[in-house]
Amino acid sequence: MNLERVSNEEKLELCRKYYLGGFLLLPFLWLVNVVWFSLYLSQVCHLSRYVIRSAVGAALWGLGLGVWVGLFQTRRNQWGALGDALSFTQPMGEP
Amino acid sequence: MTELSAHLPQFQHGQLTENFPDTHLSNTNDNSERRRHDNSERRRNDHAESETNGQPQNNIQQVVEQDEEEDEELTLKYGAKHVIMLFVPVTLCMVVVVATIKSVSFYTRKDGQLIYTPFTEETETVGQRALNSILNAAIMISVIIVMTILLVVLYKYRCYKVIHGWLIISSLLLLFFFSFIYLGEVFKTYNVAMDYITVALMIWNFGVVGMICIHWKGPLRLQQAYLIMISALMALVFIKYLPEWTAWLILAVISVYDLVAVLCPKGPLRMLVETAQERNETLFPALIYSSTMIWLVNMAEEDPEAQRKSKNSTYDKQASQTQNEDAEADDGGFSQEWQQQRDNRIGPIESTPESRAAVQALPSNSQASEDPEERGVKLGLGDFIFYSVLVGKASATASGDWNTTLACFVAILIGLCLTLLLLAIFKKALPALPISITFGLVFYFATDNLVQPFMDQLAFHQFYI
Repeated sequence: MNLERVSNEEKLELCRKYYLGGFLLLPFLWLVNVVWFSLYLSQVCHLSRYVIRSAVGAALWGLGLGVWVGLFQTRRNQWGALGDALSFTQPMGEP
Repeated sequence: MTELSAHLPQFQHGQLTENFPDTHLSNTNDNSERRRHDNSERRRNDHAESETNGQPQNNIQQVVEQDEEEDEELTLKYGAKHVIMLFVPVTLCMVVVVATIKSVSFYTRKDGQLIYTPFTEETETVGQRALNSILNAAIMISVIIVMTILLVVLYKYRCYKVIHGWLIISSLLLLFFFSFIYLGEVFKTYNVAMDYITVALMIWNFGVVGMICIHWKGPLRLQQAYLIMISALMALVFIKYLPEWTAWLILAVISVYDLVAVLCPKGPLRMLVETAQERNETLFPALIYSSTMIWLVNMAEEDPEAQRKSKNSTYDKQASQTQNEDAEADDGGFSQEWQQQRDNRIGPIESTPESRAAVQALPSNSQASEDPEERGVKLGLGDFIFYSVLVGKASATASGDWNTTLACFVAILIGLCLTLLLLAIFKKALPALPISITFGLVFYFATDNLVQPFMDQLAFHQFYI
């Protein structure tokens, strides 16, 4: 979809919908929101509200995910049964 | 969708949109180039005219001829740009498929066959194997024909909800289930530990954002990327579950079917296009990859009210169509019987008839508005899928390996070029499969059986040419 052809109100509405949708455990949607609408921050008033909040949300999620993945990759062996239960794929061979 | 049709703002199967009333455009680069060209032509012509008689009517005739020349120039200019703009996604799709085939062994392992190809190819005699593969191909193509006719009937009787739902289910399956399997296999290949929580989050995000981009509104680049990814996933499923001889036969038969379905007056895809034309609707926007050029963006500023109104109206229609089309195109190929990973019996075939719904070349009666989005070339996702199947199969099973893969890749791109050229000449919906697949098959068998042994012998004897 080409944002050039929609009105500013529609842009704001779309940004808002993307922002609200991100609360359904969708940090990627927030990221898309930020990247897509950051070009129009100067043109549409109130857009910054949603873009900044989406950016903050995406950053928090990224941080949380990074911490969790780091923890899991390094401590998986020590967790025993829990580690195995959580694993979707397990590496084969010797550690 | 194996059709490229000329112009048609609203039809999206492989359309090369050529709207000629562009001479009013002013600002963008292309426009300015054109105008410079136009101006220089005019000046040249005027100059020539003034040398002979400089009569006003001659000038007018000259201008008219110039307009026609400009139109032809415009066509060719659009043609070249559009060809390049289609090369990139087709190449990307093929690169993804070949990279996956080369690295993830899951897609080259034989784990059973689809229910659409019940006859095995592990037979004792060559004749039996040939017979089995012919039967498999016949079953597959009849499934496709039935699905296409079903689609046309549904469309004719305006069962949009059914089509829409079918497409949604289809793309859900593709975006969630197939990508889940793909992700799992990639992790296993690289021996990476991954936990369920992260995987669930990734697949959830990928799938939902994909559904939003494809069926609703999203950034164009992201939508294009998602369409490429789902085409690649689909092609990988085909490569995995189709035995060899069956796959080549199916490719050949599908090109013939595509040719017939799009060009014959009673062909289902052509009827689909004509029905859509009568109703002045767009066809299957979602199943079509659109390489829109944004250079017409300044048009909105030229004549804001009229342009915006017409653009919004065509765009809205297109958007709603896209949803119908998309769902249909994606779903077309999915039957519901998937089981576990080991005996995947998926019927992806159905997506192809829909995705290959032809885009027809509507005469531009409704194209008064030059919608920039519709000026891009559109290629059906079925075309992406089958091109990638050909190249993927070539890289998976060829003795010549990279030579054969590259040869097939070049063949397909040449075929695509020729198809787009024909599109620019004929300005109607064209099937994009036949030429490319024919070239691809010829190059595959020739390279594998002739060129590769030749090169092996040269290398063996250390003879460099």
